[in-house]
Amino acid sequence: MARVYNWQIGREMSYWYPETRPKRQFAAVFDTNKCIACQTCTLACKTTWTSGKGQEYMLWNNVETKPYGFYPLAWDVNLLEKLGPQSWEGRRYGGRTIFEAAEAGERVLGWRPEEMDYSNPNVGEDDCLNGVEKGAHFTGVHNSWFFYLARICNHCTYPACLSSCPRGATYKRPEDGIVLIDQGRCRGYQECVKACPYKKTFYNTMTGTSEKCIACFPKIELGLQPQCFVNCIGKIRFAGWISKPENARADNPIDFLVHVKKVALPLFPQFGLEPNVYYIPPINVPREYLLQMFGPGIDAALETYRNAPKDKDLAGLLTLFGSTEQIVAKWKRADEQVVGYDEGGREIVRVPLREPTHIRQAFDTKQGVARGNIS
Amino acid sequence: MSSPTDPTEREPRSCAILNLRPTISALKILHFVQDDIGNAGLLLAAAVVFALAFAGCSKQGPPISEAEVKAIFDKTLPSTVDDAMWERAPVHTAKLIPQDMVEPRLMRASTPFVNVQSITDGRQMAFRLSWSDATMDDIPGQGRFGDAVAVQLPATTAPDAPAPQMGEEGKPVEITYWSAVFQAAVNGRKDDIHALYPRAKVDHYPFEAPSLKPGSTEQQAMAKRYAPARSLENPMAGPRTVPVQDLVAAGPGTLQPAEKTVSLGSGTYVKSGWSVVLIRPLPNGTQLGGRTQVAFAVWEGSHQEVGARKMRTPWIPLTLESAR
Repeated sequence: MARVYNWQIGREMSYWYPETRPKRQFAAVFDTNKCIACQTCTLACKTTWTSGKGQEYMLWNNVETKPYGFYPLAWDVNLLEKLGPQSWEGRRYGGRTIFEAAEAGERVLGWRPEEMDYSNPNVGEDDCLNGVEKGAHFTGVHNSWFFYLARICNHCTYPACLSSCPRGATYKRPEDGIVLIDQGRCRGYQECVKACPYKKTFYNTMTGTSEKCIACFPKIELGLQPQCFVNCIGKIRFAGWISKPENARADNPIDFLVHVKKVALPLFPQFGLEPNVYYIPPINVPREYLLQMFGPGIDAALETYRNAPKDKDLAGLLTLFGSTEQIVAKWKRADEQVVGYDEGGREIVRVPLREPTHIRQAFDTKQGVARGNIS
Repeated sequence: MSSPTDPTEREPRSCAILNLRPTISALKILHFVQDDIGNAGLLLAAAVVFALAFAGCSKQGPPISEAEVKAIFDKTLPSTVDDAMWERAPVHTAKLIPQDMVEPRLMRASTPFVNVQSITDGRQMAFRLSWSDATMDDIPGQGRFGDAVAVQLPATTAPDAPAPQMGEEGKPVEITYWSAVFQAAVNGRKDDIHALYPRAKVDHYPFEAPSLKPGSTEQQAMAKRYAPARSLENPMAGPRTVPVQDLVAAGPGTLQPAEKTVSLGSGTYVKSGWSVVLIRPLPNGTQLGGRTQVAFAVWEGSHQEVGARKMRTPWIPLTLESAR
């Protein structure tokens, strides 16, 4: 075991390999408040990548309703229970990561789902915590809540799938940090399936190998965002590159949201993988639940997000979500417009901070007719 | 083919001991009939007992080789587990220990031993490997693994053997691996999800669209593209004509396919155990009358054993009988 630094838990930790960060790291921000669980992302991924034999059950991308939705069943609560107490001392994690809590003979603390655990991908869909009383109506406070959690592989800085593979078949690309399973080398031991806390590697019974989300790397290589991003109806997703906190640049959209505004948080940072999909947490969910899921940055993130209407930069950047298929490497706000640039500094998109409103009069004086919906 | 059993329960070799049970049974009959038939009859019955005892000697199983695996010479090699030739090949009972040297380790022992026999014709070696296994595991799945066995030999015969666990850098080993999952495919299980889940409902595979002629070059090429491991010719992905793989390794984690799989094999599950025949070339530098080392590994699928999680042996001396 080597000692590596994980900024998400504010300390060094044990990891199977020494710290080697890629030249740049693929990252994403998902705004949970905008997701409507239409599963268009799920189908975009499914039809692009997992239509083969043995891939029928695979959902490299899925959207589940929290707290009762899971794919596979109980993926998070199983591990949370195994891991034991997870306390934070300020921004420093005081508990054990899944690498530090590995049992004797293991590289990672994990559990292996069985086929039945994959049998109900929509379990808990739209179920809220507690029942809803007959006659209940909204009175200003959500006592019952649920939210949608869209999930892909987190292309972690310290992937558990990679560290658990006894034959080095899983690797992290040095050029973009995307984590892949070498389909020529994998022998289907399913160690990665057991180790990944997010359960985003899947065993293919027909090819005898494990497969996973590839972050649509052929698109990334062309400067384009992945399929699940560009097909998102709610425009909740934004792909880009993340820097280490000390190298954060305000003109990098991901850095701005994660490091500058700290409005987007990692999923279960206490597991210790430094996951690179960041979530703007849902504002209608109890703090304790969010603290467990997104770590100690939750209070500041919620406050910042609630304040977004008054924050032109933040609100402006959020309007860039879903505005282009290309990866926005840099951005700036120019008064009431937000501009996105590609890697080479070329402008690729320009979006108004507020869409102009046009009001059409009900009566067309020029034509002398009343307007209908189709005229 | 008899099922593998614990060595302490295996059929003894001495005629007297071998036939103890029939002798006792016959004496019981003797006692029962004594009153009716008198002394003359008693003598006759005793003769029957000895005749039975003598007849039992002809059922003697193969000899035992305690210290090493002895490959006997024959001009032809057996290809099945129940070939009569195996009656001549000495049985070595190889004790298995959990792989507990590198993570992930096997922390709880399972299969205690594997019975090994070997026959060589001077060009190839046949091994028969038999072990107890209460569950037949030959279906792959999520968290589900197949039973398997492997034979490991040094890639080059030298006085200084490689590390027994997967060899070491500069001292590679050759491994012949048999899997119950592969065997089921070779036995005819279709390469289709419905062979594993008969009630599965699949909406559509793009490579089985009506516009594509089934089995055409175009259709097959497209189907291959939807199976990434198969596209990369990963031997795990099939298609499969033999239930074995030839592999090479130079240390834990370095296992890779040999240039070509030339070994053959077949396995059958009978009476709570597997019997597998593996036929592979003689290792480099090994010849009749020579010596080398051999090691074995067994995976119990229902015990979640796969990859490094296995029961294994250290090196065991292997002698090859001279040509007769």
